[in-house]
Amino acid sequence: MSDDEQMYDEAMMEDEETALEIAALQSEDLLPQPKKEFINHKAALRALVDELSQKSLNWIQRCDVTSAEPIVVDKTENDLDRELKFYQQGLEAVIQAQLEVKNVGVPFSRPDDYFAEMVKSDAHMARIRQKLLDQQKGIQNSEEAKKQRELRKYGKKIEQEKLKEREDQKKASLDKIATIKKRLRSGDLGEVDDFEIDVASDDDGGSAKAKGTRGKKGKDGRPMVNHKRLSKNEKFGFGGKKRGLRKNTAESTSDMSGFSQKRNKSANFSAVHQRGKTKRPGKSKRQRTN
Amino acid sequence: MATLYKTAKSEYQDVDDVLEEREKRSDIKQRILMVASRGVTFRQRHLMNDLEVLLPHSKKESKVEAKQDIDILNELAEIQNCNNVFYFEARKHQDLYLWIARAPSGPSVKFHVQNIHTMDELKMTGNCLRGSRPVLSFDSNFDSEPHLQLLKEIFTQTFGVPKGARKSKPFFDHVFTFSIVDGRIWFRNFQIVEKDAQTGGDMAKNAKPTLIEIGPRFVLNTIRIFEGSFGGPTLYENPRYISPNVVRAAVRSQKATKYASRVADTQDREARARANPLPSDPLKDVFE
Repeated sequence: MSDDEQMYDEAMMEDEETALEIAALQSEDLLPQPKKEFINHKAALRALVDELSQKSLNWIQRCDVTSAEPIVVDKTENDLDRELKFYQQGLEAVIQAQLEVKNVGVPFSRPDDYFAEMVKSDAHMARIRQKLLDQQKGIQNSEEAKKQRELRKYGKKIEQEKLKEREDQKKASLDKIATIKKRLRSGDLGEVDDFEIDVASDDDGGSAKAKGTRGKKGKDGRPMVNHKRLSKNEKFGFGGKKRGLRKNTAESTSDMSGFSQKRNKSANFSAVHQRGKTKRPGKSKRQRTN
Repeated sequence: MATLYKTAKSEYQDVDDVLEEREKRSDIKQRILMVASRGVTFRQRHLMNDLEVLLPHSKKESKVEAKQDIDILNELAEIQNCNNVFYFEARKHQDLYLWIARAPSGPSVKFHVQNIHTMDELKMTGNCLRGSRPVLSFDSNFDSEPHLQLLKEIFTQTFGVPKGARKSKPFFDHVFTFSIVDGRIWFRNFQIVEKDAQTGGDMAKNAKPTLIEIGPRFVLNTIRIFEGSFGGPTLYENPRYISPNVVRAAVRSQKATKYASRVADTQDREARARANPLPSDPLKDVFE
C-alpha cells in the first residue's frame, strides 16, 4: 500500500467505523469482530527492533529492568490482585536496579539534605495529608459513636431492670397494705400482731422502722411501737395519705371535741402534762430523811 | 561554523571514532515533543501536563487541528529538534488516542487511552523529584511477541530519561511499571521509599524498600503499528481492539432490540387473541 492510500485509509477510519456499526446493527453479535486477516508482519517488526535497539549504550543509560516471571491475572476486574502484581513487579525491578546501580557506582537513594523541586507542590501534599487525617478522624469518631451506642443500650437495660424491680417492690408492699387494711377493718384485735409481724418479716433492709424501737419490749412484754414512725409512714409512705389533702375542712374547724371547758378552767392546765415523771422531794428534805 | 570546527577537529581523530561518538550522542539524545489536538477534556489535558512534568526531556507545543495537521507534526518535530512525538488526539470530547512516533522516519504506534487517573487525585500520595530519572520495569510478557518487543524498545527510549538530559536530577526516585494484562498495557508510577514505614528513620540493612503510587495511571490499548511516522504501511494490527464508537453503537442497538422485541410481542399477542377467540360462556347471563 502506498503512503497516500494509507493516509486515505487513516483519514477514512471514521467511515470504516460506521460500516462496522452497520454490521453491528445487522448481525446478532453485539460486539462483532470483522472476520478478516489481521496484519502482523513479524519479520519486519523484528528487523525494526534490531535497528532501533541502542546496542552502544550501557545499562545505566537506559535503566530498564524486565521481570523474571510474566504477570498473570485471572480476572482483570479483581483490582486488588492486579494492583498487587504491579506492585510486586515494581518492587522486584527496584531491587535489581539498586544492585546494578551499585555496580556502576552511581548514587541511588536521595540523601536527606538534598532539597529540590518536587513533582507535586507542598500545598498539594498538605491537602493529601489533611485528607488522610480527616479519614482517620472519621474512623475514630464512628468507633466512638458505636461504643457510646453500645453503652447507652447497656445502661438503658440496667435502668429498666432497676425500675422494674422498684415497681415490683412497690406493688408488693401496696398489696400487703391493702390486705392488712382489709383485715383490720374486718377482724380487729387479734390482727394487730399480724400487722407488725408481717411487715417486719418481709422487709429486711428497706423498711422505714426506727432502730430505736425495733425488737425492744415494753413493760407488758409486747414489742414497742414507734408511734412517730407509724405516723410518718401513714403520712408519707406507700399507700399512705394522699398528698395535698386539705388539712382543715369545714367539719374539722367546727369540731369542738378537742376543747373541754372543765380542762381549760382547771388549775394546772398551763402545766404540760408529764406522764411517768415522779415527784421528787427537795434536797433538804432528802438529806433529812437519808 | 560548528560543523567546520568539528570537521577540523576530526582531522586529529579517526573518522570512525567521530562517527561512533556522534552515533552514541544521538542514541543518548532523546527529546519528546508533546502535542495535543483541539477538543481535549480537562482530565486528558492534566494527563499531558503530568507526563510533561515527569519527563524532563519533553517539550510541550500548542494545540493543532485534528485531522489536517498530522503531517505537520513531523515538521514541528524537526523544528524543535525532537526525535520523538507524543500526540494526544481527542475525539468527540470523549476518547483519547495517543500516538507515539519517532519523528523523521521511524515507526509510530497508535493507542487508545483508557482509565486515566492524574497525579492530582488525593489518593495518590507519593511524590518524587522533578526530573529524576525513572527505573523502567517491564513485564516479561513484553518479550513474547515481536510487536511487544518493539513497544518495549519504544517505551524505553521515550519514557526513559536520558542520562545527561538538561533538567534531569541525579538520584533514582521513582519507577515506571509497564504490565500487560488482558491484552492492554497498564502504566503505573511509584515512588521508591527507603525509609522505615513506621519510624521514618533509616531502614534495616536487608529490608525491602516500599513503593507509594505517585500517578498518573492509564491503560493503553494498541490499535496499530505503522512503519512510518504518523502513516505508512501497517506493521501490526491488534485483533482485540474494538473502537469505542462500535461499543457505543452496540449498546444502543441492544436497547433498540429490546424495544423492538417488546413491540413485536404485543402485536403477536393481539393477533393470537384475535385468532383464538374465547368460547361463549353459557353461564354468562346468570347474574344480571
